[in-house]
Amino acid sequence: MIALKRVGQAVLVIALAYVLVFLVLAAIPGDPVSAQLENPQAGYSEAEKAQIRSFYGLDKPVLVQLLISIGNALRGDLGISLSTSAPVSSTIGEAIPSTLALAATALVFALLIALILGFASQSLGEGRLGGLVRSLPTVFLSTPNFLIGLVLIQVFAVQLGAFSIIDPETAGSTAFAALTLAIPVSAQIAQVFITALDTTTALDHTEVALSRGLAPVRVFARHLLRPSLLPTVTVCGLVVGELLGGSLITETIFGRAGIGTVVQKAVTSQDVPVLQAAVVLSAAVFVGVNLVIDLVLPLLDPRLRAPREAS
Amino acid sequence: MTAAVLTTGDPSGSPEHAPAGAPAQAGSRLRGLRRLPLTVWLSIAVLLLVLAFSLAPGLFTSADPAVGVPDRKFTPPGWQYLLGTDHLGRDLLSRIIHGSASSMTSALIAVAIGVLVGGAIGLVAGYAGGWADAVLGRLVDVLLAIPSFLLAVVVVTALGYDTRNAAIATGVSAVAVFARLMRAEVLRVRTSVFIEAARLNGGSDAYILIRHVLPNAVRPVLSLAVLQFGLAILTIAGLAFLGYGDPPPASDWGLLVADGREHLLHAPWLVIAPGLVIAIVVLSVSRLSRFIDTERNR
Amino acid sequence: MTSADTDTRPDAGSTTAGDTEHGTAPLLTVEHLRVTYGERAAAREVVRDVSFSVPAGSTLALIGESGSGKSTIARAVLRLLERRGARVEGSVRLRGREISRLREHALRPLRGRVLGFVPQDPGSALNPVRTIGSQALEAAALVPEARSRAAREALVREGLERAGLTDPERIAASYPHQLSGGQLQRVLIALAIIPGPALLVADEPTSALDVTVQKQILDLLTSLQDELGIGLLLITHDLALAAERSQQVVVLSGGTIQEAGPTAEVFAHPRSEYTRRLQADVPGLHPDRFADLRAARDLGEGGGAPPATAPRVTARDITRTFRSTGGHEIRALHGVSFSIARGTTHALVGESGSGKTTAARALLGLERLDAGALEVDGRTVDPSDPRALRALRRDLQLVHQNPFTSLDPRFTVGRIVREPLDMYRVGDAAAREERVSWALAAVRLDEELLGRRPTALSGGQRQRVAIARALVLRPEVLVLDEPTSALDVTVQAGILEVLVRLQKDLGLTYLFISHDLGVVRQVADTLTVLRRGEVVEEGEAVRVFADPQHEYTQRLLASIPAHVAGAERTTRTQSTGSTGSTASTPGDGILEATA
Repeated sequence: MIALKRVGQAVLVIALAYVLVFLVLAAIPGDPVSAQLENPQAGYSEAEKAQIRSFYGLDKPVLVQLLISIGNALRGDLGISLSTSAPVSSTIGEAIPSTLALAATALVFALLIALILGFASQSLGEGRLGGLVRSLPTVFLSTPNFLIGLVLIQVFAVQLGAFSIIDPETAGSTAFAALTLAIPVSAQIAQVFITALDTTTALDHTEVALSRGLAPVRVFARHLLRPSLLPTVTVCGLVVGELLGGSLITETIFGRAGIGTVVQKAVTSQDVPVLQAAVVLSAAVFVGVNLVIDLVLPLLDPRLRAPREAS
Repeated sequence: MTAAVLTTGDPSGSPEHAPAGAPAQAGSRLRGLRRLPLTVWLSIAVLLLVLAFSLAPGLFTSADPAVGVPDRKFTPPGWQYLLGTDHLGRDLLSRIIHGSASSMTSALIAVAIGVLVGGAIGLVAGYAGGWADAVLGRLVDVLLAIPSFLLAVVVVTALGYDTRNAAIATGVSAVAVFARLMRAEVLRVRTSVFIEAARLNGGSDAYILIRHVLPNAVRPVLSLAVLQFGLAILTIAGLAFLGYGDPPPASDWGLLVADGREHLLHAPWLVIAPGLVIAIVVLSVSRLSRFIDTERNR
Repeated sequence: MTSADTDTRPDAGSTTAGDTEHGTAPLLTVEHLRVTYGERAAAREVVRDVSFSVPAGSTLALIGESGSGKSTIARAVLRLLERRGARVEGSVRLRGREISRLREHALRPLRGRVLGFVPQDPGSALNPVRTIGSQALEAAALVPEARSRAAREALVREGLERAGLTDPERIAASYPHQLSGGQLQRVLIALAIIPGPALLVADEPTSALDVTVQKQILDLLTSLQDELGIGLLLITHDLALAAERSQQVVVLSGGTIQEAGPTAEVFAHPRSEYTRRLQADVPGLHPDRFADLRAARDLGEGGGAPPATAPRVTARDITRTFRSTGGHEIRALHGVSFSIARGTTHALVGESGSGKTTAARALLGLERLDAGALEVDGRTVDPSDPRALRALRRDLQLVHQNPFTSLDPRFTVGRIVREPLDMYRVGDAAAREERVSWALAAVRLDEELLGRRPTALSGGQRQRVAIARALVLRPEVLVLDEPTSALDVTVQAGILEVLVRLQKDLGLTYLFISHDLGVVRQVADTLTVLRRGEVVEEGEAVRVFADPQHEYTQRLLASIPAHVAGAERTTRTQSTGSTGSTASTPGDGILEATA
């Protein structure tokens, strides 16, 4: 019941995102097709121009275009690229594996970094070293990822030759691109994780567990870690947006042919259908991942399962 | 970009005993100032310096940021050129200093849009509830669902490429975060006992909203605004890096990194210096935001 | 306060019956304990030179108000302070063995097995994401004999049953949020006794519970102590409780010992000024504290008898039913009637879920009624008529339970108290200032506080500000919703005195909501006892206290630890039949949420 309602809300949000992006992009002055048609050297006749416009659906009012576009999208037809005339679905489809590999690797890296920082923050205590660990997320979050990427390339590819910048799809290149993407994202996860660990530490139940004679390792694993993972899992859903948005810059720097690069090219050529599809796809991934997390959280937290009984 | 990271505290304080004979407010505030941690002092100093760069760049450098000495191109950092020169022989330090005004203003514009639009949406949604909340809530959901950097790219594409539009786009991409926090804060404050007390004392809805709800809800939002100022610098720099800001004669920090990228192999300082400047400024802002947040929770 | 040693230790042997097993060596000895937080200039000493000892099988109560350092001492004994960054000096010996310097790995065998802990707030003392059973198994794993899982499960079952939980299988399979406060406290006690400790440190083990549940838990602790010969270090703010349940007391204030000795002796002849004051302020020990003041009230025709004139407030058959998310109906109020005569105090008494708060909120028009009517001076309370409500509230004001949440943290005291005058446009600026000064004087607050914000005030000061705000419009009726339950006893006594005096001077009528019968006996003229939304007993306070008719009222009365215990221990009634404690009906949640 509740799950169904959540799914319905998610679908609604994706649909609204589609409409919103469409309307914003409709405000773009001009489009590549018209630019080409109006080019005097091309020498199209008025009839040809009208025919080509109508082929791309550019002759109708925006709202009609929107309805047609939605209708087509529902049938799985995302339209045709205005700059390459290739179907949008194939343009996007070809780019997905690269971005998926990048984002998934980055998420793994980010989680590893966040977990290490979290454990370190608890074991190092309040001292100077602990303070340093606690300030690392802020440093990570403040460093522009293009700087991180360029420095990694300069040091590891150019000076140490650890990976090749010529072929961006090798494991080495992917790993360093993922690291670039992962550092700011890990900061967000780490901040939530550390805060959650601190909050849980301050709760009575960890103290009571300690007083019960449990080994500190067990107290950490059973009484501290598990409750702290809940907000951490939630934030993992939220950083999906950062992973997708950040891939734009990371892919550009590392020369990867992923969704980010597709977006870049579409923006430069004002290729609205491709841009539309890429943005809505990103939104759908974000909504989808968060929906799954929403539905999975009750498995981790019994308090979310049943309707609340006591306050 | 990072609302989830922010913790909001309980302003009413813990129900422990109040400080017996607590000192008068002004006194404690002064003493608090003297006890500022070193990192906070450093952050303030960095921001004041950047502010001075923006207001009077001429005071800090005499070199023309737009005109270079071709003979001197790619001079590494040294005594004559503290941060070196670029491919046209222009002084990088001068370009950074002259670029700060644009970078700071655009970040301010972005945060202002986020706070005002997002704050208004959150305030209405939280206080009015019902239909308004449902409609605005969906809008915020949609804005949150689109990765914020992508949203900024889409908006700047629709508006046209220049730094001002990049700032507006960044602001739009931050609206949802502010709206969500404001709504949560308004809901928290609205259900608090002192609001009920004000209602029992004959306060009207408008009075309660303006005098009780807003002042108590706005502080976490302001602390988020400081944090978002730093993130806006990053986003705008990112947009400039991809070429969605003002075109090259300008010296926005992100643009400087993008320009330097071509020469990364033989003149790495062109990338590293402006990149580090961005990092240091954003770090200072974040430190300040975190400090404000912990002080508030005290 | 070195006298503490000399006072307690010689007495230890003589007053304890069960102190034979370990000869003369006490179970726990604390000497010259000193706890400091912070460094050098910012150092705060929260416990200063505290010494005491607990013989095996006996109970020592550490008594004090908030900030007295009593919980810190408990945690110092349990060695839980280091992780909070405190510096602990002095000696803590358990069965003669110094434990204050032991390293964690050497200390761990003692934790749980020798040194058990029953924490204060049962709601937060268990891991919320794991079942009771899995947490209890951790405790059982400490018992060396229980090698197999089956053996441990048997221990858990036995422990839960011993703690008075009749359905151990169900409890073990539950998560903490599925149980009531009373059940959780029993679980915590079970977890503490499973490994068979020699000493239990119980930090306010009942302060988060309803009174009748409190008594059951205390009876349980006492009977377990008899059965297992456990020594008990009882931390409490409740003097009467300590008087009833301990053989030795240590009275603390500001981190130092004020007085220590055998319980009976300390209460019969308190030597320190602080103990005398503390004792004088316990409502349960002094039912007639305000009798003179109350007798001086002018209640129309002669003396203390309620007058025959029309009542100020009337409730007729008020009924309110909530619907929970599960679709159950919960009767918050069912056909409740009462009336309050002019200038008197009527108390609505009950435990959580009794409907007392719902009734108060309905009177203020904050809660709709399904049936019945509420009248104030003949005017019907109608939540759907905002203008009439607004007019009514000039004469009818509320003082909330918790002064830490009822004052806007961003307003100054002056602005808080003046707000109702501004809202109702009473007089000009000068007149309002004067009214504010009058209201502050009426609650005995210094005008110096006018410019302060609530965060700079103590709990008692905050509640006085809240009362001043309620007074400033010169209302006829005040609804007092547990006005002292968030405060220490000495602070409570001050607030109650202010309220009684105001009633005498201004002829105010009070509706007094409370769960604390000791307080009610001090201030109420008439009362209604509520349980689960229904009237259980009503009448004049004097009569109800002297001769309670209903079994539930009798139980409530029996649960006030009222006697200043003589040398003999009061009869230990083992918690009988009703061991399930207050079952967690969905209704509790809703009612508590509105409270």
